[in-house]
Amino acid sequence: MYIYLYDNFLRQKKYDSEIRAMEVRLTDYGIAGKILRLTNYIDAKQIIDDEIKRGAKTVVIVGNDHTFGHVLSRAATCECVFGFLPIGPDNTIAKVLGIPVGVGACDTLAKRRREKLDIGWMNNRYFVSRLQVPPAKVKVIYDGKFTVSANDLMEVVVCNLQPFYYKSTKKDSNQQEVHPQDGKLEAFIRPLTKKRFWGYNYESPSVFPFEEMEIVGDSAFAVEADGKTSKEIKVKIKLAHGKIDMVVGRDRKF
Amino acid sequence: MLFSKPSANVALENEPSDSSVYAPPSDDIETVVGPSVNVEGDFASEGNIIVKGSVAGSVHTSRHLSVEPGAKIMANVRAGSAAIAGDVRGNIKVKDTLELASTAKVVGDIEAAVLKIDSGALLFGKVSMPGLQQTVSENRSAARGRVGGKRAEAQILDLEG
Repeated sequence: MYIYLYDNFLRQKKYDSEIRAMEVRLTDYGIAGKILRLTNYIDAKQIIDDEIKRGAKTVVIVGNDHTFGHVLSRAATCECVFGFLPIGPDNTIAKVLGIPVGVGACDTLAKRRREKLDIGWMNNRYFVSRLQVPPAKVKVIYDGKFTVSANDLMEVVVCNLQPFYYKSTKKDSNQQEVHPQDGKLEAFIRPLTKKRFWGYNYESPSVFPFEEMEIVGDSAFAVEADGKTSKEIKVKIKLAHGKIDMVVGRDRKF
Repeated sequence: MLFSKPSANVALENEPSDSSVYAPPSDDIETVVGPSVNVEGDFASEGNIIVKGSVAGSVHTSRHLSVEPGAKIMANVRAGSAAIAGDVRGNIKVKDTLELASTAKVVGDIEAAVLKIDSGALLFGKVSMPGLQQTVSENRSAARGRVGGKRAEAQILDLEG
């Protein structure tokens, strides 16, 4: 039995036709199911657990990166198969998973190519794709053994599935990328050095594969994980041993 | 734009939408310590390490260590193999090959199976190689044996006399 979790933004009229087309395609494949609408105040884990008790085997997230993060940050450990139907803008995770945006995603879902995905654990929630700390005065402690710090601000990006893209300067036309490796989380650290008068320059990144790390700041700093932003003083990140069973596309990037 | 604050978007803006940009991931696990990054503590890695910044404490890897020009290591180093072109203050113990480039400055003892030093490299310390240690100890023991034998012969002659 399939359960579809629709994000609240899909109520907008502009998505009506696309959703209708998707629902027709899903019915054609014989995988249509119960539809539940998510709001900000709904705990996805509780809903999914309830539906699993009623016999749900596959939970399909319908929305964008934000929806994906919102559901899986809590419900990653649920005993079911997850699917994803990306709709609208802000769909970078879908690209990593090899799922086309729009009606084409129904074909991928119907094919049920399943993969076990590593997930990261941050303070009290999971992240699947990427965690990012925008430039701030922080230091990073790896596995309690060594500390990495910079003289000034530092940007930290922890990649699980999504590759890390960077440019050495704003005007740099060559965008460079580093691919995360499986079985570990990768932390990309980019210190900023002050320009002569004002502004900052990004240095080339440092790469540290790890299983557990702590980001500590003197003051609160922003943390963005799977499109969800929060303010923290101390973030403990580790590779969670539980894995998500997920339906992915053939063109996945891992 | 002139007074804009640094933001993460600078690094991540214009992410490629084309899937052809993606390349297959490499198998080698690699740790990179970038420039203007300071690492303190027991820095250990299972894969290759590239150091461009500064490291204090100790460095350990079972694979290759590369110290780029301008990098500073104030630590004891243990590695499978190493290529050094920066400053190292500490003892270096390498299982396989150690290469010192012309820009290398090493203050400390070196132990390596194979050592290659480019002209211009600076080294202050003791160099030892595991292969040579054996022959030296053998020679010493043989020499002791010879000295001991002569003394014994002399004693026998004295007794006869």
